[in-house]
Amino acid sequence: MSSTSQKHKEFVAEPMGEKPVNALAGIGEVLGKRLEEKGFDKAYVVLGQFLVLKKDEELFRDWLKDTCGANVKQQGDCYGCLREWCDSFL
Amino acid sequence: MATLGNKSDQEIRELLDEYGIKHGPIVNTTRALYEKKLREAMAKNNVTKPSPDKTFYREEQEEVTYVTYRTPVMSAGPSGDGKPYMRSRPEYSERDFVDDKLYSRSRPEYSSRRQYVDEPHVYNTPSSSSYSKPTPVVKSGGGVVEEEKTESSGRLIPLWIQFLVFLIVAGFLYFIFINMESAESSPFNRIQ
Repeated sequence: MSSTSQKHKEFVAEPMGEKPVNALAGIGEVLGKRLEEKGFDKAYVVLGQFLVLKKDEELFRDWLKDTCGANVKQQGDCYGCLREWCDSFL
Repeated sequence: MATLGNKSDQEIRELLDEYGIKHGPIVNTTRALYEKKLREAMAKNNVTKPSPDKTFYREEQEEVTYVTYRTPVMSAGPSGDGKPYMRSRPEYSERDFVDDKLYSRSRPEYSSRRQYVDEPHVYNTPSSSSYSKPTPVVKSGGGVVEEEKTESSGRLIPLWIQFLVFLIVAGFLYFIFINMESAESSPFNRIQ
């Protein structure tokens, strides 16, 4: 069982509302800034992208890497966070 | 190769289906990703397609250098024997694709596992540009092994490093063994 971070737990515990993009697990300041520059300024916009990629792990990882340069761990954290959020709230 | 940027969404979608790439709707934010995937798939396909002709040629004589292909397909054997592998590994040859079937069959699975790693194509293009074929070592499945070795697909530590470590440990143990005190003389001599 892989451990999830505090950030992950907080994010998946409630609807994301207007949370900023760096509330996502795996997305820190640097990545958050890069995403905002590309127009993904809120967590729900990244959620939108996640859904448009049909919640596919590989596609989402690729996209995240291309868009903000996330490494494998960050990609995984973000994907896991969104997926779990969707499982609960979507 | 037609420029993907000019194609319509529908055409991109059709191409993705053609290459068997799983995808969602083509939206402005997803388009770039799919175009990239298509380029990778096209490059991969271009590499494997012409090979069938070359394999015949190769069987006649092995010392043939092909300049057209980008992928350093190495005719190293499957990773069972370390020596020929290590010898042939640094020397990339532009031999034709020995087992293009092997190559193309494993390529999809290989690239799908590593699709978020762009290295295969970046790696292929420059490295094959100036290599000729030195050794007559001919084994099958080389290209696959070569790619996998360099990209360490499925292996966290490259095979040659594993062999090296093994040899070092074995040598170390041997050294200890040699330097053990001989037990020929009995330690139970009476002290005079």
